[in-house]
Amino acid sequence: MEYFRLILLSSLDDFRRNKLRTFLTSLGIMIGVSSVILLIALGLGLKKYIKLQFEGLGVNIAIVMPGNIFNNGNIQPGRNVGGIKFDQKDVQSIKTVAGIKNLAPTYIKTVAVKTGGNSQIGDLYATNEEIFPMRNLELAKGSYYSKSDVAKSSKKVVLGPKIAEKLFTDIDNAEGKSIKIENLNFKVVGVLKEKGGGGFGGPDFDSFIYVPYKAVLSLNPDKKFSVINFQVTEESEMDKIKKAVEEKLLRRYEKDDFSIVEQEEIQNTVTMIFSVLNSVLIAIGGISLIVGGIGIMNIMYVSIIERYQEIGIRRALGATKNNILLLFLSEAVLLSLTGGVLGLLLSYLTVLIIRIYFPAYLDVIAVLVALTTSSLIGIIFGVLPAKNAASLSPVEAIRYE
Amino acid sequence: MSFIFLIKLFRMIELINISKIYQLDGGNFTALDKINLRIKEGELIAITGPSGCGKSTLMHIIGLLDTPTIGKVIINGRNIQDLTDNEISALRNVYAGFVFQQFNLINKLNVLENILLPTQYSRQKKTFIAKDRALDLMDRFGIKEKAQSYPNKLSGGQQQRVAITRALINKPKIILADEPTGNLDSKTGTKILDILIELNKKDNLTILIVTHDKEIALRFPRIIQMFDGKIVKA
Repeated sequence: MEYFRLILLSSLDDFRRNKLRTFLTSLGIMIGVSSVILLIALGLGLKKYIKLQFEGLGVNIAIVMPGNIFNNGNIQPGRNVGGIKFDQKDVQSIKTVAGIKNLAPTYIKTVAVKTGGNSQIGDLYATNEEIFPMRNLELAKGSYYSKSDVAKSSKKVVLGPKIAEKLFTDIDNAEGKSIKIENLNFKVVGVLKEKGGGGFGGPDFDSFIYVPYKAVLSLNPDKKFSVINFQVTEESEMDKIKKAVEEKLLRRYEKDDFSIVEQEEIQNTVTMIFSVLNSVLIAIGGISLIVGGIGIMNIMYVSIIERYQEIGIRRALGATKNNILLLFLSEAVLLSLTGGVLGLLLSYLTVLIIRIYFPAYLDVIAVLVALTTSSLIGIIFGVLPAKNAASLSPVEAIRYE
Repeated sequence: MSFIFLIKLFRMIELINISKIYQLDGGNFTALDKINLRIKEGELIAITGPSGCGKSTLMHIIGLLDTPTIGKVIINGRNIQDLTDNEISALRNVYAGFVFQQFNLINKLNVLENILLPTQYSRQKKTFIAKDRALDLMDRFGIKEKAQSYPNKLSGGQQQRVAITRALINKPKIILADEPTGNLDSKTGTKILDILIELNKKDNLTILIVTHDKEIALRFPRIIQMFDGKIVKA
């Protein structure tokens, strides 16, 4: 223990004598560590952000889609090209499955929307009133359309805040106004609160134009649905209910004709894509760590040349090659670790600032990563110079001036 | 047992037919040429000769700082060739104490830390308390009050006393001093020699000094004279 204390003191003393050099060398590691840690923090924040976004869109939701979008257990959005569309008969048979809380068959179509002189292209989301509680869609203004509105094919429309703003500039102006969807006249009964999201593979509920599906049958002459959303009461029953829904549909369709995707699966896929991206960025950030390591190696060689005589003296007094190796290796590690700790502090402060705009955060793993990578960098880039020092001939080292 | 002890006593160090050859660009340079030498415990020896005659190289080999290209070095009956580098380092740590012309103290360590440095590298269990021994020796050589000073704040004579104390800390069998007075004025140099000779007389310590100064050599009962890598008079 005393031996290690003396090694530590020797290293610290060397740092004290070469303050600027020590600082500049550990700066390299500091930059490397903080860039890696920041990227980790951003990745963690992104994961959390995606989770929040998806949870905002309601929980325990599954979507019945046409086509087989699964391949070896992975979702392949590009394969969403099934030929079938669902109809009222499918809706009725799914409705008989126990444990479904909300069921929203939906016809989706891109439409032209007009109000006064303003004309926009929007996404029509023709469904029933159950979509609102299912997707946690809250009202900013007015009301939803009701179950009887759906039954009576009332020409009522609820607008997502983004499309409402496009059409009326201010969402306060929208309620009670008439709009024309393709050739049909609708009355705006409500505007939804902003939900955010839509940028991470989930649907953008802020941009949708919600109407009772029966009100737009003239735009949908086959009376078909693009997707069927359903929400289960108990999360634990999801698998069982999905299986039951699948069995119902298999009576009419082939296995490859449709897919039942849990929202969580989409979330996982999106998260995975971003995790891979994040890992690539961290690896790129890691390059700066290597550059920092080379800086350490360089300065260790300089330090060893300066201390040739000391190495010789220590060897003459009985130090083994390993004693010398350890002396310089611990110095390299200490130098690198100092950079690691400084980098951690820097990234922590940066995260505090980023948090104002984005939910980035650091956890204990980030701290461990910073400390272990910087120690490892010290060992990897310190071992060659230290070996070099250890292998010096004592006689030559002691004579060196 | 007593027979082996006697052999050890009379042949503490034995060099058998050793040569040290350096390979240089222009061919080989023979620093030591077939040297045979025996050193007994308690001897007081001066190696002398002109510069470049190989006397420092010989001292380094005796002190296990260097190894010969050819020949055997036997210390206390053990052939050094049979030892690993770690074992040689450990042996050097307890068997030899070095005193150099340039003092060779580590400037960033204070006097006491310098003196205790060899004890850091000891692998044997110590029979003494290092710090107490250091303070006793410093007291003996009149440098006790300098314990916390740094080497560059001391005079040459004081630095050489620190070096001698450091050489003695692990109770070595032999003190090897390479031109120990070379960087000192003659008065201070004489005092340092007095200390070394006294260590031999009082403590029965084997002392070997390297010097080019014939006057200094004359104070030593055994003088090894070298020329061109050879011992011309032992």
